[in-house]
Amino acid sequence: MTFLELEGVNTYYGESHILQGVDLHVDEGEVVALLGRNGVGKTTTIRSIMQLTPPSEGTIRFQGEELVGKDTYEVADAGIGWIPEERRMFGRLSVEENLRASVPDTSKMDESLEFAYDTFPILRERTDQRAGDLSGGQQQMLAIARGLIGQNDLLLVDEPSEGLAPQIVANVGEALLEASDSVSILLVEQKLGLALDLADRYYVMDHGEIIDQGDTAGVTAEDEQLRRYLSA
Amino acid sequence: MIDVLTPLALAETVDLLTSPSDITGVLIEGLAKGSLYLMIAVGLTLIFGLMDVINFAHGAFTMYGAYIAGVAVLALGVGSMGFVGALGTFFIIMIAVFVLLAVLGVIFEVTLIRKLYEYPPIFMILLTFGITITMEELMRMIVEFRDINSGQWDIGWDAPRQSSLPSELGGTTEIGFVNFTGLQLMQISMGVAVLAGIWAFLNKTRYGLFVRAGVEDEEMARALGIDINRTFTAVFAVGSGLAGMAGVMLMWDPLWDVNVPLALAVLLPAFVIVIVGGLGSFKGTVVASFLVGLIDALGTWAFQTGVIQFTDIDQLMIFAILVVMLILRPRGLFGVKGQGDHG
Repeated sequence: MTFLELEGVNTYYGESHILQGVDLHVDEGEVVALLGRNGVGKTTTIRSIMQLTPPSEGTIRFQGEELVGKDTYEVADAGIGWIPEERRMFGRLSVEENLRASVPDTSKMDESLEFAYDTFPILRERTDQRAGDLSGGQQQMLAIARGLIGQNDLLLVDEPSEGLAPQIVANVGEALLEASDSVSILLVEQKLGLALDLADRYYVMDHGEIIDQGDTAGVTAEDEQLRRYLSA
Repeated sequence: MIDVLTPLALAETVDLLTSPSDITGVLIEGLAKGSLYLMIAVGLTLIFGLMDVINFAHGAFTMYGAYIAGVAVLALGVGSMGFVGALGTFFIIMIAVFVLLAVLGVIFEVTLIRKLYEYPPIFMILLTFGITITMEELMRMIVEFRDINSGQWDIGWDAPRQSSLPSELGGTTEIGFVNFTGLQLMQISMGVAVLAGIWAFLNKTRYGLFVRAGVEDEEMARALGIDINRTFTAVFAVGSGLAGMAGVMLMWDPLWDVNVPLALAVLLPAFVIVIVGGLGSFKGTVVASFLVGLIDALGTWAFQTGVIQFTDIDQLMIFAILVVMLILRPRGLFGVKGQGDHG
């Protein structure tokens, strides 16, 4: 069943025409990678879905419901979580407060926190620490934990490995793989190996358009065509 | 011209500056003024922190609160009541003013301010400036039609209003070398109560968590499912209500004139507090409120004792803090990068 569906999405930043008729879909239980060089419109696609940068044309449907025209908090309420590229912690709030702010149903607060701490045990040790004082890797874990406990059906994950040490990237990859058992994921990722490991399908973007797509089965990070798409 | 030459001898000035009763007097008055400033500035800083709205109309809410409370104490004959009755009536008036101005704040936010969130800040500045001028002129018309300030109704204004203050609050209590009035004690108590209430709201409630999250990153808060518009309406209501409450608190205080220019008189120090404390920082606002309160009290004391003969020395000192802060630490005492960071 199609969970998320974008049809003819056009998005502008001022006069700049960023997304030029994007069509893509994510099915229930799928992990879909959105690949492409820097600046081709991947993050704008995610921001358009969240209605942070609303599209001027096109439709974005989630579980059959039109998202265009809704407020961002309503998109989140519909069951879409956003794990942004810059992590976007509430730096002056504690780790636990960041997590608490992400749980919509307060009756599930304790089990949600427990799940987050079980997934990333280091966060349990830092529960009262200000999120702004965490290391980059810990902040990424917190960002992912926030998305996981948000009782979402779909996660939009933007560059989760950006700026992280290889060991941390592996931890983040494991967490996303585990999460994919229960949620669908649209993943923007520059590290081709990680993206292909996690994703069932992929789309390639260039100049605000989808220029290629396919299944990841049998495709490796050494695939020449994909490498050419991603090279500057 | 700033005539700061003092007629006092240096030795006399040094005596005054080291007098324990004068020092404690300035401290207590500073705390009392700081409490009033806190009530005004906390709404301003939360409103700015949450939605980047610089609300020029905020001072007008304090002026309205003072007028409504002043007219109410005279109309209800609080001056002829016993202490308990007067105090009880005063607090009922305060609650009523809080509710009334909170509702007015909601009306302004929903019908006017919300329309301009997506526009550049200059639109919001012009709008709130327009609101304050409208509120001031409306009050000026009411005051002149009803002849409130000069004494129709046989009630007068300043003298009868201030004389309706129960003697228990107006009288000075002396404990050792510490002198204070009941009114100062009440203002400080209210300041502490507001401080505790806002702290508890921000730190112990889910809604407060949303406010703090929204102050830091409004976009991310929305993306977590937080309805920031509703949160902002609530903050605007509380901020407007508190500004009105501050007006009620200063209505009996002889150091304040209850007139239309009061709107601007309280707005300017409140802006200084918000900038000195750090835009959007509650902790900064608390510290800066008491800092400005103390400086204000010191200036008033210096003028009253004749150390400095310049009527606006308190204002001059308050703005000196602002200038020093903007030069040394543009983002304020507890400001964070990206908010009010001029450097």
